[in-house]
Amino acid sequence: MANTKDYARSKEGSNIAKIVVDRDLCIGAASCIAVSGETYELDGENKVVVTNANEIDDATLLMSAESCPTKAILLFDKDGKQIFPK
Amino acid sequence: MENYKYLIVGGGAAGTSAAETIREKDATGTVAIISDEVHPLYSRVMLSKPNFFLGKIPFDQIWMKGADWYKTNKIIFLGGRTVTALDAQKKIVTLDDGKRLGYEKLLIATGVRTRPWNVPGADKKGIFSLRTLEDGQKIMEAIKTAKKAVTIGGGFIGFEMADLMHLAGLDTTMILREDYFWQPTLDEASGKMIENALIKNGIKVLKNAEVTEVVGNENVSGVILKDGAKLDCDIIIVGIGVVPPNLNFVKNAGIETKNAIIANEFLETNIADIWTAGDIAEYKDLLLEENVQLGNWVNAREQGRVAGLNMVASNSGNVGTKTSFKFVSFYTTQGVGISIAFVGDVRPLPDRTIILRGSPESGSYERILVDAKGELVGATMINRTGDMSTISKLIENNVDITTHTTDLGDANFDLKNLLTKQ
Repeated sequence: MANTKDYARSKEGSNIAKIVVDRDLCIGAASCIAVSGETYELDGENKVVVTNANEIDDATLLMSAESCPTKAILLFDKDGKQIFPK
Repeated sequence: MENYKYLIVGGGAAGTSAAETIREKDATGTVAIISDEVHPLYSRVMLSKPNFFLGKIPFDQIWMKGADWYKTNKIIFLGGRTVTALDAQKKIVTLDDGKRLGYEKLLIATGVRTRPWNVPGADKKGIFSLRTLEDGQKIMEAIKTAKKAVTIGGGFIGFEMADLMHLAGLDTTMILREDYFWQPTLDEASGKMIENALIKNGIKVLKNAEVTEVVGNENVSGVILKDGAKLDCDIIIVGIGVVPPNLNFVKNAGIETKNAIIANEFLETNIADIWTAGDIAEYKDLLLEENVQLGNWVNAREQGRVAGLNMVASNSGNVGTKTSFKFVSFYTTQGVGISIAFVGDVRPLPDRTIILRGSPESGSYERILVDAKGELVGATMINRTGDMSTISKLIENNVDITTHTTDLGDANFDLKNLLTKQ
């Protein structure tokens, strides 16, 4: 069973409905924080947690997921389809 | 001769990020990447991570871009090639196979190479450094049969590889020249915390130590230290820093270099239509107001993006559209139950004040560096990475902390309060 944490997103006009952090993959490199410190922070285990899933637009959110060197951030649309990684 | 509107030397994080950005902004301009490696972009960061090495993360997770990505985005990938000459007047690059490529805009993002380890016997089998995927695969193969490991160097690679060797079941000894870890960037108390965590996990640490000779026949069987002691081992991992690759083609073209390639805050070199990004860029840092060179994934990606934006923006000739690179850098790592993070500028210069947060005894210890002007410039954190994003924002926003030094030193004070006060 993958050690993942789900964060629902309800930002108006957004195509992304859920952010998932795979905690087994996350190495705390914090590249996502560099892209969006408004959305993420590191917890006591040096893993990324989402503090505000609705703060940033879809393009920036996608950029934050793409920046991860271990592809630990997954994005899903409203139908539950995985948008990233493709 | 083939001609490209945008030519990128280097297929790593910076070069690929630049190509991606260029394609977003210019749908039709021709783009080519020249890479000395044959692979599409992979995660160099993952190479030193135990979960990847020990097979807990599937191997294919390492690929950041598939071959189809280049095709879909019409980015020509010229793998396994290096640049031997650059004519900046005629705007022509020559490759090692003699092929000549014309360009309009050129990005040099070659990355760096591992520093060679020059001790007698360092050419024996069983000695590895870590930069490429092939290096990683060789180490993965070697640890299947190796029993006793020695790691050389007290930096990130040494730390992560020692953790990895130990997790793989090898009897592991770390050898570092310094008195403690990350001397002088960290204080001794922080260094001691790292050392204690390593020792607690069964890793031996030899400080003030240096290898004078590697012994063995064809394969390494041990090392001799400067105090004469001999240590048996059948694998050595060397992590003693990085050096630039051969930059003759850059220098011969009249591009200014120092430790690496000099660039301004727009990542432009001194030669028109040539940019640089990533580990090889020695760029003007707007926060520090001096030229710096940084080596990490996050930095390389972001610099590639900025260089790509500026390469496209230069087409219009509109100076006002240039993007400057402004970024609070950081490094993080974890292993043996400890997390280490550096944020911003962590050099302990004489005119800087250091505010301590937490304590080594409590197992969570941070040093916040404040410059002579009273501005927060950086922080080092042991088991306190939760403060990282807030510290980064405080640096970026130039938050005046002169009246809050007591708060900063209070481990229970939430640093976010300082952000909202602005």
